[in-house]
Amino acid sequence: MRAFDFYAAKDSSEAVALLAQHGPAVKVLAGGTDLLADLKFASATHAPKVVVDISRADDLRGIETTEQGLRIGALVTHTEIMRSPVIRDLFPALVDAAHTIGAVQTRNLGTLGGNLVTAVPSMDSGPTLVALDAIVTIAGPEGRRQVPLVEFFVGPRKTVLKPSELLVEIIIPKENVGKPAHFLKFGLRKGQALALVNVAAAIWVDWDKNTFVAPRISLGAVAPTVIHAASAERYLEGKPTTAETMVEAGKLAVNDAKPINDFRASAGYRRDLIAVLTKRALESAWELAQQKRQARTGKAH
Amino acid sequence: MVSVTLTVNGEKRSATVVPETTLLKLLRESFNLTGAKLGCDVGDCGACTVIVDGKLVNSCLMLAGQADGRDVLTIEGLATSDRLHPIQKAFEDKGSLQCGFCGPGVIMSAKWLLDQNPNPSVPDIRDALAGNLCRCTGYSKMIEAIQAIAQDGAKA
Repeated sequence: MRAFDFYAAKDSSEAVALLAQHGPAVKVLAGGTDLLADLKFASATHAPKVVVDISRADDLRGIETTEQGLRIGALVTHTEIMRSPVIRDLFPALVDAAHTIGAVQTRNLGTLGGNLVTAVPSMDSGPTLVALDAIVTIAGPEGRRQVPLVEFFVGPRKTVLKPSELLVEIIIPKENVGKPAHFLKFGLRKGQALALVNVAAAIWVDWDKNTFVAPRISLGAVAPTVIHAASAERYLEGKPTTAETMVEAGKLAVNDAKPINDFRASAGYRRDLIAVLTKRALESAWELAQQKRQARTGKAH
Repeated sequence: MVSVTLTVNGEKRSATVVPETTLLKLLRESFNLTGAKLGCDVGDCGACTVIVDGKLVNSCLMLAGQADGRDVLTIEGLATSDRLHPIQKAFEDKGSLQCGFCGPGVIMSAKWLLDQNPNPSVPDIRDALAGNLCRCTGYSKMIEAIQAIAQDGAKA
C-alpha cells in the first residue's frame, strides 16, 4: 500500500472537520473491506494522501425508531443488520440482503454506509432500501442535508457525496416502516458471489379490493446505478394481486433496465433473470403481506 | 507513524508502524506471529482470519491503527505447549488439512462459529466457512471435524 497520513475521528463532526481540512485527496475508512482492497491497487494519482478512520465514531452506529422513521447508522455492519431484532421483525428483506454480502469476515467489518458509498452497481444492500424509498443524511462543513437514496447514486462508484461530506445515516420513512418487502439475488455461486441481477419488491395491499398500493420494484446490477423499475411500478398501481399482473410487471421491468454483457453473463441472460426474479420477489412480498395481515387480525384473509 | 497497543492472545503488545500497515502485517512482522497467512490480500481467501473483540475478521482488511486497544486472538492463542486445541485435534483426527495454508484461518472461523453456536448444522458450518478458501483437500473433512466437536460437546 502507498503511504498516507492516518487520522482517527471520534465522532462525525470531527470526521467532517478532518475531511474539510485535508481536501480532495482524502478517503474515509469505515469497515475497510472495500477501501483497503482498493488502496492496495491504487495508482499514484488515485491513492489518497490522508485516510480518516471513522470506525470509532459511535454517533454513526445504532438502529432505532425516530420521528422520521427507522434510522440505521452508517456504521452498522451487515452482521448487525442480520442480528437486529427490530430489522428481523420489520424488514426480513434487509436481513436476507445482508446475508448475501461477502462472507462472515467481510460482513463483520463491512458497513451499510460503506456498501452504499462505494456504489458498485451490483451492491446487495441498495435494492431493498431503494424499494422502501429510503433517504440518506449527509453531513458536511455547512451542516446536514438529506437526499433520497435513489438520487444518492450517480453512476458506477459515483455518488453525490462531495470530498468533505460524510454519509451519516439511512432512514426508512415512517410511512414505509413494516411495508412487506422481499429481496432476491442471483449470482453464479452461493458464497461470495456478485449479483448478476438483484431485485427487491415492496408493496402495500388494499385488502378490500385485493389490489397493489404503492408498489415499488428496484433492480441492481443491470444499470449504472440501483434503479426503480418505474414502468412496472406504474403498471402495478391499483392492479389486482394476481399471478398474471406479477408476470406482466416482470416483463415490464426488463425494459426499465440496461444490462450489460460481461464475463459473468450476457445482457440477454440478465434480462431473462429480471423478469423471473421480479415476479418471484412480488410473489414473496405478497405472501409476506398476507402473513403480516394474518398475524395482525388472526384472519386467514 | 502510528503507535498501537493491543492485546494479542492475552498479552499486551505494542508497536510503532507506518499508517498503511495492516493488522496482518503487524502480527506477522512486528510480533512474529506467522500463523495468519497472507493469501489474496483483498479479503477473498480468509487465510489471514483472526478474531478481534469477538468478531471474525480478515486481518488483511484492517489497519493496525484500527486494531489499537482491541483484543486479538490468532491461531497461536489456541493450543498450549502440551495440548492442541480440540478443533485442531479434530482436524488432525479427520485429516481435514493437506498443505495446511488455509488451516489457521479455517480453524479460527470454526472457533468463532462454535463460540456462538455449540451445535451448528451443516448449513451453519458451510456458511461460517464461506469466507475461507481451501485449494487442496476440500471442505468435507473440515465439516466432519467441526461436527465431531459439536457432537462431543467439547468446549471449543
